[in-house]
Amino acid sequence: MSATLALGRRSLREALRQPDALFMTMFIPIFFLVVNTGQAAEIFPSDTTGFLEGQGYGAFQLPITLLLAASFGMAALFLVEEIEGGYFDKLRAIPVPRYSIVLGRLVAEAAKGVVISAVIVLIALPFGIDIASGPLGFLLLVALSALWGVVYAGFMQLIALKTRSAAATNSGGLIFFPLLFLTPNFVPRDLLTEPMEIAATINPVTYLMESMRSLILDDLAWSEIWQGFAVVAVLGVMMLVLSVRMIQSYD
Amino acid sequence: MNQDLGAPAVLAEALVKHYDGREGTVEAVRGVDLQIRTGEIFGFLGPNGAGKSTTVRMLTTLLTITSGRAEVAGVDVIDDPDGARRRIGVALQEAGLDPRQTGRELLNLHGRLFGLGATEAKERAEELLALVELEDAADRVIKGYSGGMQRRLDLAAALVHEPEVLFLDEPTTGLDPASRLTIWGELRRINGNGTTIFLTTQYLEEADQLCDRLAIIDDGLIVRQGTPSQLKADLRERRGDGEVTLDDVFLDATGRTRERAAGEVQEVAA
Repeated sequence: MSATLALGRRSLREALRQPDALFMTMFIPIFFLVVNTGQAAEIFPSDTTGFLEGQGYGAFQLPITLLLAASFGMAALFLVEEIEGGYFDKLRAIPVPRYSIVLGRLVAEAAKGVVISAVIVLIALPFGIDIASGPLGFLLLVALSALWGVVYAGFMQLIALKTRSAAATNSGGLIFFPLLFLTPNFVPRDLLTEPMEIAATINPVTYLMESMRSLILDDLAWSEIWQGFAVVAVLGVMMLVLSVRMIQSYD
Repeated sequence: MNQDLGAPAVLAEALVKHYDGREGTVEAVRGVDLQIRTGEIFGFLGPNGAGKSTTVRMLTTLLTITSGRAEVAGVDVIDDPDGARRRIGVALQEAGLDPRQTGRELLNLHGRLFGLGATEAKERAEELLALVELEDAADRVIKGYSGGMQRRLDLAAALVHEPEVLFLDEPTTGLDPASRLTIWGELRRINGNGTTIFLTTQYLEEADQLCDRLAIIDDGLIVRQGTPSQLKADLRERRGDGEVTLDDVFLDATGRTRERAAGEVQEVAA
């Protein structure tokens, strides 16, 4: 555990030394929040659109903004850079549990995710977006977003470990990225066309998004909230098991 | 320095590494036997692709062993890889360092990962920065270091836990003559403190200058082993003529001509 934390601190230092990357992580999702809200707010006025629960369309868009920001983690790219540069082997030659090398980066992703998500929500508040579930809901929202960031970064690290190539890791991200959009990100699931509704229903990210949305638009609706945590828990366990197996057998 | 305190610092018996690929099995190492005495500087030479790095990676637990066995500092690398890692220092080809950390942060981190306490790790980092003469650059980010500085820091990182055996894979490749001489001096100093050094190199003069004994590997097999002077004397005796250099030994052992070897092995003027 101490090795994981030491490597996590290192990854955090690394992130702080690249403030431009942190800025872009927040800028692009916020840009989409502003653009999407600006384009669709007239179609979905808050006073006549039931699914907005009295809030503006920006509140409905906030979950995809948070999920996008959480999915921009750099852990896998830094990892593959270390594999290509040889530092990964240097770490493997140290008598620490090998899983700590990948978990260290995920600890840093969690910490970054908390800060980035909290900042995005705080930026959104003055623009009429409320967290209807209150301070506890705010914490749960930030936690869900950060946990998704860890899960996503973990899967990207798996691609990095498998391919050992920056180009392949980047391309791998393009495979996972559509999952964020095969969701009810513009309207609720029951308003989607049938094929999109089917795709959204089998996509686990949908339940995460709906859970986050309920924290923004509703009181604490535990029947929806638990689904988001279940998704990150199940995917997180899968990711951890695969990561440990892959790094133990890395040759 | 050649202390020969009894137990071998590195032992390899019938070490084999196969890779399975689309085009069949590649036999990178085909049965290597080595016995390196404690306190030696041992040179491991061979043309590109002969199996040098693969052998080093097996001995340092970075690569699984297809068959055979290996021990470093008396610890079996298959049965107790963590035990082996505690006893070895590793600096591989192309200084593998984290470019976004400073030299001091990197050495501190390695100290912590090897189980040193916070204060102890800091003190050890300072000692090592002084040893490799990088105190002035200690707080600079590593990506700004020159090639020679990176190699010296890599060497320092490999020494954080005072290893019994130091594995160096082509530690001076690509360095200018002055940086190479600095590294040689540091290696002699480290060896003088009792650390066994296992060194792969493509520079024959480096092997001649530094190594107590050396082995030449070709096509996955050891083809010569002995002290540099023994190997030269053996060839001189077989040829029955005068001057023999380590280049001649290498070319004879690997069946290469000078033309074919060009680009594979280089002589350096120190």
